[in-house]
Amino acid sequence: MSKRLIANARVTGLGFVDRLVRDYSALVVCLIGLFLVVFIVGMATAPNFLTIFNFKTIIRDAALVGIMAIGLTFVTLSGNFFLLSMKETAALCIICFATSMSSGYGFEISFLLTMVLAIIAGAAQGALIGIGGNPIVVTLGAAGLLFGLGSWWSDNLVVSFRRPHGAEWLGTGSFLGLPNITIAFILIAISAECVLRYTNFGRQVYLIGANRAAGKATGHENFPMAIKVCIIASVCSAFVAIAFSAQVSSAHVNYFSSEFGSSGDMTIMVIATVMVGGNSIMGGFGSTLRTSSGAIFISTVDNMMVLHGFNSGPRVLAVGLMIVFSIIVFALVRRGSRAQE
Amino acid sequence: MILKLSAINRSFGAIQALKKTDFEIGESEVMGLVGENGAGKSTLVKIIGGFDDGYSGEYTLDGAPVRFSNPSRAEKAGIAIAQQELSLIPAMSVAENIFLVGDTVPLFSTKKSLALKAKPYLEEVGLDKVDPSISVNRLSIGEQQLVEVASLLAHDPRVLILDEPTAALGESDSVRILEMVERLAANGKSVIYVSHRLDEIFKICHRITVLRDGISQEPRKVSEFNVHSLVESMLGRELENMFPERMELTGTAPLLEVCGLWPDATVEPFNFEVYPGEILGLAGQLGSGSGDILSAMGGASGTREGNIRYKGKEFLPKSPKEAIKAGIAYCSNDRKLDGLFLGRPIKENLTSPALGRISTYGILNKGSEERLALGNAKKFTVDVTRMGTEAGLLSGGNQQKVALGKWLSIEPNIILVNEPTRGVDVGARAEIYGKLREFANEGKAVIFASTDIQEITGLSDRIITFYRGMQIGEIVLEDISATKVLEQITHPFGVHQEVKTA
Ligand SMILES: Nc1ncnc2c1ncn2[C@@H]1O[C@H](COP(=O)(O)OP(=O)(O)OP(=O)(O)O)[C@@H](O)[C@H]1O
Ligand SMILES: [Mg+2]
Repeated sequence: MSKRLIANARVTGLGFVDRLVRDYSALVVCLIGLFLVVFIVGMATAPNFLTIFNFKTIIRDAALVGIMAIGLTFVTLSGNFFLLSMKETAALCIICFATSMSSGYGFEISFLLTMVLAIIAGAAQGALIGIGGNPIVVTLGAAGLLFGLGSWWSDNLVVSFRRPHGAEWLGTGSFLGLPNITIAFILIAISAECVLRYTNFGRQVYLIGANRAAGKATGHENFPMAIKVCIIASVCSAFVAIAFSAQVSSAHVNYFSSEFGSSGDMTIMVIATVMVGGNSIMGGFGSTLRTSSGAIFISTVDNMMVLHGFNSGPRVLAVGLMIVFSIIVFALVRRGSRAQE
Repeated sequence: MILKLSAINRSFGAIQALKKTDFEIGESEVMGLVGENGAGKSTLVKIIGGFDDGYSGEYTLDGAPVRFSNPSRAEKAGIAIAQQELSLIPAMSVAENIFLVGDTVPLFSTKKSLALKAKPYLEEVGLDKVDPSISVNRLSIGEQQLVEVASLLAHDPRVLILDEPTAALGESDSVRILEMVERLAANGKSVIYVSHRLDEIFKICHRITVLRDGISQEPRKVSEFNVHSLVESMLGRELENMFPERMELTGTAPLLEVCGLWPDATVEPFNFEVYPGEILGLAGQLGSGSGDILSAMGGASGTREGNIRYKGKEFLPKSPKEAIKAGIAYCSNDRKLDGLFLGRPIKENLTSPALGRISTYGILNKGSEERLALGNAKKFTVDVTRMGTEAGLLSGGNQQKVALGKWLSIEPNIILVNEPTRGVDVGARAEIYGKLREFANEGKAVIFASTDIQEITGLSDRIITFYRGMQIGEIVLEDISATKVLEQITHPFGVHQEVKTA
């Protein structure tokens, strides 16, 4: 018996695939190489890709999804998975903002009202998750509720308000040639990264995300954390809703479902952005910097496809591919670096 | 020699874990593998078991060179390894875990038939009382360890590797493992046995290989060693005293009293107190309640009734957070579950309970974080050059030092620790005992629970004994002896009564 076993074990040469899978770095290089080739060819052949105007477009397009994704990153890093109610929060908030604007309350009051609404929505979801509710179930339920409220409130109609309404600066204004929404994106990205790196709260996000039980044992409980991160995500949604509404001077509950951006569904885009950035889905590892890069990356690919004249089907497909690709690459890179450290 | 490795090199970046290491084991031999934390023991056995093939050097099995690219190939060749960190799947049943890998089970089998098949293996490791169809997470760590070994036996290996199998076990479970090893060796199997418990090494091993800083020494017969010479060849220096000297206790008022505190998992409420400057040992086997009372005092588990009296107040921390606020640090016995943030840097682990101390207005002060972390790392002999590496990459014993060491950062008044030296090498163990003593000498107190009799008798100023969820007795310093402790924690009501309660 032992002879057979030994023969089995005496494996000297390994198959090519075997070696590729075992040697993660080679696989990663192959995948990235493949991707870069497609990318560069696409870029080189697209008209107008390498213009400053186009780069500005890319970042501006990345801004709205990016801001929401930065908010969601806090939830993911803290180990509370995803909020599936991002776009519905935005939908209710945009109705709230536009209704308030059209009733003549002015920008400041409308802004505040909307934010309060977002904070309540976030805190409620956070509390439910914090006491042990499954994030998927809770936020799926919340999504239905928030969306229902929004469409009931607006009668499923477009709510519009007349210019000048005092919010143009946020929607369409610019500063030194950069759209204000782009500037907001950059500022939010920088401050979110600073919060994560340099504050007590940020450290707690990572610790609780890395090991919730150890977090509890060292005095960092998930209940307040879940509430805080859900509020952050909600507030980011509300901000995006306000900025978008200010841009088009109107609101409709479906703005973030079908008509928004390139790839349709906002929630999916936001989750994709967090994942393409390479944040750990289980929490404890990642950063908002990664998320911001993810947003710009997706927006770049999308822009390239638009310039090539692809319609929305292939573009959604591309986003899906990017998610799969990034999950594989980041998982392998992480394993590889562990083995070599 | 059925298995031989020569001139093995393995490095992880700048760290060279194995340096031209040699190793061998013969037919039906029990080979002890010992060395300090981080000496490379786990790295070596992972290579043997096919978990790691990033090494250079020669590996021969029955004289033929082999190289296993994954564990299942090694398994096919008859090499099975129980790793230091458990690899069971908690939500699956005991039987399912036993037959998880390998092809010893027909494609379709019912839970019942699987359980039936698992029975003999469970008996082999002495778990005959455990129902194979319950899920693994309902077992204690010790029992889980035994299930892991049982799952290896299901492959009928020729060479069995056990990496610190008894680190999490109490006395009686350890004995089962040791007996099993002896039985296997008598049946012609070879066993590589890694342990920091030298008494075990002397009891069951035929030869011993010592690793020091990744360099192996020629294996020698067990009869050529005694405890002193073995420790010396492990550490490269002599170890004077394992246990620090006890100090005269001066305080007469208790620092903390446990007043009828009744943890969920025990049979009755407990009462005892600890004095300033004292190290109080809670002795008991696994499941005796000695660990449960600690976690209840630390706010980490539920209670039915009762309180603690501390600083003139009667209260009970409802969460670890409240305990920390009150200056009570509780370190559990399962570092992987709730002791460490494995994916985060060592530095962050060491300061994790004390974020308030290293921040002003919520902003972290990197300088004071560095100072705090470095100070504690030095105290617990954690390698200070690696503060930025993930805690999960440390060797098992070094992880334990971080898990315990982090509690010094809150400058507690009382440290509650369950199994303070699980998986820690002799040298570092002496170091930890010294630190705990130093801490107590500042007028603070340590309460620790341990299943290691040597540790209980050597470190404690006073011992409380526990048996099956009951508080049995108290042993004062003058009366401390291993026999007395053993008697109280194994059959406190005399041998005959014990049968009745069982
Ligand atoms: N994947 C890895 N990446 C980086 N370093 C590693 C890795 N695995 C092991 N090491 C390092 O290699 C050295 C040897 O570790 P190993 O786990 O073999 O020690 P050990 O002898 O088993 O110690 P212990 O008794 O504490 O379990 C340690 O310094 C450890 O930190
Ligand atoms: Mg080890």
